[in-house]
Amino acid sequence: MFEKGFPQDKLITYSGMLWLLAAQIVVMLPLIFYLPIWLLPILIFSAVWRIRVMQGHNAQPGNFIKIIIGLLGLGALAASGIKVVSLDMMASLLMLGFAYKALEVIQRRDGMVVILTGFVLIGVLFLYNQSMLIALYGVLSMTVLTGALIAIQQSKSYAILPNLRLSSMMLLLCLPLMLLFFFFAPRFEPFWKVPQTSGHAKTGISDSMTPGDIAELSQSDDLAFSVKFEGKRPGQNELYWRGLVLQHFDGKTWTQSDIPNGKGIKIGNDRLSEKQVAESIVKRGDSVEYEVIYEKSGQPWLFALTPVLEVKGRAFLGGDFRIISYRDINEPKLLKLTSYPKSLRGVELSDYDRDLALQLPDGGNQKSRLLADRLMASSASKQEYINRVLDRFRQDQYFYTLRPPTLGSENSIDDFLIDSKRGFCAHYAGSFVFMMRAAGIPARVVTGYQGGKWNEQGQFLAVHQFDAHAWTEVWLEGQGWVRFDPTAMVAPSRIEQNLETAMESEGSFLEDNFLSMSKIKWLDGIREKIDSAQYAWRRHVLGYDKNAQQNFLKKMFGELSVQKIGFIVGGLFAGIILLWVMFLGLARKRETEAEEHQLYRRFCDLMAKKGVTRDLSQTPETFRRFAMQELPDLAGEINSFTQTYSSVCYDPSIQSKHQSYIDDMKSLLKKLNR
Amino acid sequence: MNSSLGNLKISKFKLGSKGSESKNSVSKNFGSNNFGSKKKAKPKSEEESNQKLPQWMEKRFPETRQMTLDLKRIFVFLTGTSGALLIAIGLLFLMGVNFQSTLIYALSFWLLALIIISIFFTYRNLSGLTLRAVQASPCFAGEKAVFELEVSCPKQQKKSAICIGWKNQDVATVNLHDNHTIHIKLSHSTKHRGRFKPEKLSIFTSYPLGLIKGWSYALLNMNSIVYPAPLLQESEDKGDSLDEEADQGMEIPRGTTDFSGIRDYQAGDSPRHIHWGAYAKTGKVQTKTFVDYASHDLWLDWDALSISGTEIKLSHLCAKVLQYHQEQQVYGLNIPGRTIQPASGEAHRNTCLTALALFGEGDHSDAQTQVSTDGIGS
Repeated sequence: MFEKGFPQDKLITYSGMLWLLAAQIVVMLPLIFYLPIWLLPILIFSAVWRIRVMQGHNAQPGNFIKIIIGLLGLGALAASGIKVVSLDMMASLLMLGFAYKALEVIQRRDGMVVILTGFVLIGVLFLYNQSMLIALYGVLSMTVLTGALIAIQQSKSYAILPNLRLSSMMLLLCLPLMLLFFFFAPRFEPFWKVPQTSGHAKTGISDSMTPGDIAELSQSDDLAFSVKFEGKRPGQNELYWRGLVLQHFDGKTWTQSDIPNGKGIKIGNDRLSEKQVAESIVKRGDSVEYEVIYEKSGQPWLFALTPVLEVKGRAFLGGDFRIISYRDINEPKLLKLTSYPKSLRGVELSDYDRDLALQLPDGGNQKSRLLADRLMASSASKQEYINRVLDRFRQDQYFYTLRPPTLGSENSIDDFLIDSKRGFCAHYAGSFVFMMRAAGIPARVVTGYQGGKWNEQGQFLAVHQFDAHAWTEVWLEGQGWVRFDPTAMVAPSRIEQNLETAMESEGSFLEDNFLSMSKIKWLDGIREKIDSAQYAWRRHVLGYDKNAQQNFLKKMFGELSVQKIGFIVGGLFAGIILLWVMFLGLARKRETEAEEHQLYRRFCDLMAKKGVTRDLSQTPETFRRFAMQELPDLAGEINSFTQTYSSVCYDPSIQSKHQSYIDDMKSLLKKLNR
Repeated sequence: MNSSLGNLKISKFKLGSKGSESKNSVSKNFGSNNFGSKKKAKPKSEEESNQKLPQWMEKRFPETRQMTLDLKRIFVFLTGTSGALLIAIGLLFLMGVNFQSTLIYALSFWLLALIIISIFFTYRNLSGLTLRAVQASPCFAGEKAVFELEVSCPKQQKKSAICIGWKNQDVATVNLHDNHTIHIKLSHSTKHRGRFKPEKLSIFTSYPLGLIKGWSYALLNMNSIVYPAPLLQESEDKGDSLDEEADQGMEIPRGTTDFSGIRDYQAGDSPRHIHWGAYAKTGKVQTKTFVDYASHDLWLDWDALSISGTEIKLSHLCAKVLQYHQEQQVYGLNIPGRTIQPASGEAHRNTCLTALALFGEGDHSDAQTQVSTDGIGS
């Protein structure tokens, strides 16, 4: 409303324009890794056109051209195969508009639209990637966008550096306030279910296993989760991070049981109370307490040393001694867990569970079935049978390899067990369970991760995708579910050490992952440091959720009431404002005016209080006469004050005694004030 | 902050519109111009609030020759852009909540902090800015009066993109980067003759981010003389009485043409006119005096005009003054309450025009339009 009647130059300067284009490119650059890459050329095309318009080479694009170009972009987007109702589509549309906006930015208002969209796009980037590096890039983008915001406000073109300096300074000064908001602002549960980005594609171990899946996974050196132990760290060969229980075998693929239990819920994925879990185990041995940060996987499966008896965080205890997240994990997730790995689990086996654990497809794999019959017939006990199967793996010509031959789809167990004898953990686990079930012993495949890499710097265990593993559980009378890992028979080094050692002779560790830095030995030291920093980032920054907030605030300020929080926030806010005022030099008052003028001003104010107001036209001299007339009682003081003032102002000979004159003025003023 | 400009009432500022009746009313009326008004007007009488700035405003923006913007004189408020940014922040916050993304939370909080810190930066950009009235040039009614201002800031500061202007007039954009003092010229359109005192000057900026607008006013004590619009009344040619004074015309003393006598030397007399002969004889320095004869002395006489209407007469006389000045005539002016002896030249022209401009305002003494600039602000 104030702007009305104040015509201003609303056009953006040339340098402002360049700033905007630079900001646009900076913002779009990382996003093209997640969205159609042709969005960048569109921006560059628009930008080049814009610059040519500014330099007078091209004409402003007409509406017709704009519509054509816009339709082309939308068409390309439709053809790109992105789902219509998805975050990717929304983000792409935002990007498209952002890129095209470069065509028509001339006025300040357009520039503002571009910059605000830019800020939102930084947020979109964080949906795709939350790593420390991307966060740093986000800060860079913020700085450039803020610099552009400054540049479009300017009425003249200035150099780049001062703008950059100003924008960094502003953002830096904002930091304390941002942190205040960050630490204290209430955290909410999601208001509604949101579509996921392609960046949230499912990774890691899935709820089915076909031989080859895990071998594929083992080519990835992405982090799966990191673990920090409260007390002693269990031995490397004890680190079985149990995730999914795969009960159902269709002859080729192992899946979670899809036979509904009585309640119509997929077995194993229903929620159990801690009491229910406690009832089904016999607690043995010491507890292991640890804290896990799960990386995003797009799936709800969590991995832990089994059995878990206590969960702190957003997850529940499921059937089969698993823990499951309430929602798919799309951002790093922190849990505090307590496990009792030595406990006996499921000593009582229900008929229903027994049926599940004995399920086999009706036909196929006859050779293996015959082998099982033969071995069972010659074994005195179940235990002996199990040992003979394991011995077979150990003593026969079985190889642990990441390059297994392709197996037929009809008799995949036969192909591996009898013929090729070359396979990865999934082959061993699958065929072992097959052998058990064929002999009437309840057994199941368990998938998860085994081992992990200890980071000495950060004192945490990093479990990567290549640590993915499949093993088995066999139900034994009186012992419940007992873990057997047939892979350990073939390749003990896989369990005792890690996959890399196990694959040393074959050289197939991460062989498809050409860009992986994990293979470069001499980088280990630096990598450990980086990993450690990233762990801290995930643990403390990304992991700052509702729980972490409560814990942090409790730790810092003790028990909290709303009132107390109010005081703390108010106090800190006031402190930050004070800091700003000091830093920006806003507290200094009238520094431009010499002291004598200030004193004279006070003198005039004082006179005004006494009813003698100095008129604009009155010089100090005329005012003196006027005031002396009006206030005869104070005539002496008024006279000498004005005289002193005049001398200070106009008499160069008193320079040396300047201060004493000022003091005189002060004391006279005091007298007048009485 | 926005509503702090609260209790101004809309009123029309009619400068000198009632001609001679509006004696000295100008200086009382100065503030009540068209500035924005708000809901809660004080229960003052309509009349009073029409006439004056609200008291708190008057205190904060006294009429001065020089004004420095400071805390009590700067208002800040959110702009439309910050509204849009707040919407974007809301959007980001929702994104942060729904995707449980800590980084997006942080981003939205950072932007919020950016709006808040903008208040201080924008304030800083205005604070310490000093405006000083330097000079006002006269103009004819309907033309633009030009005011020269000095804009300065403390040495260690920089000011960017500060707009200065009157409402509905041109706006100047000022940058103080390398120089800490600059002079700007602002023009203001005029409608009526007389002493023109512009309303309060608006000083505003949304630098650096455009999120916050800082606003201030300065009521600078300067005025410009607005001459009547020159408008010749063709039919009334005889009215301007070519009052040729006898044959000789009028004597213009201190001329250079005809010798008129000898007197004692006075400081300032041209050495060329010193009567060296007499000096040689008597030792006394004497000066020869000369006169010019304005043989066609022209008188612009109010009473001799037969056209009616004060303003029309003034306009006509104004046009005549300009005409004679251009013809390099010697002319005199006689209007009620003021008589200006015939003369010629730029200064004479200005004197005449000023007399016409201020006709009826009762104050003819201050023909100078220079703003005095002594050291102290108020």
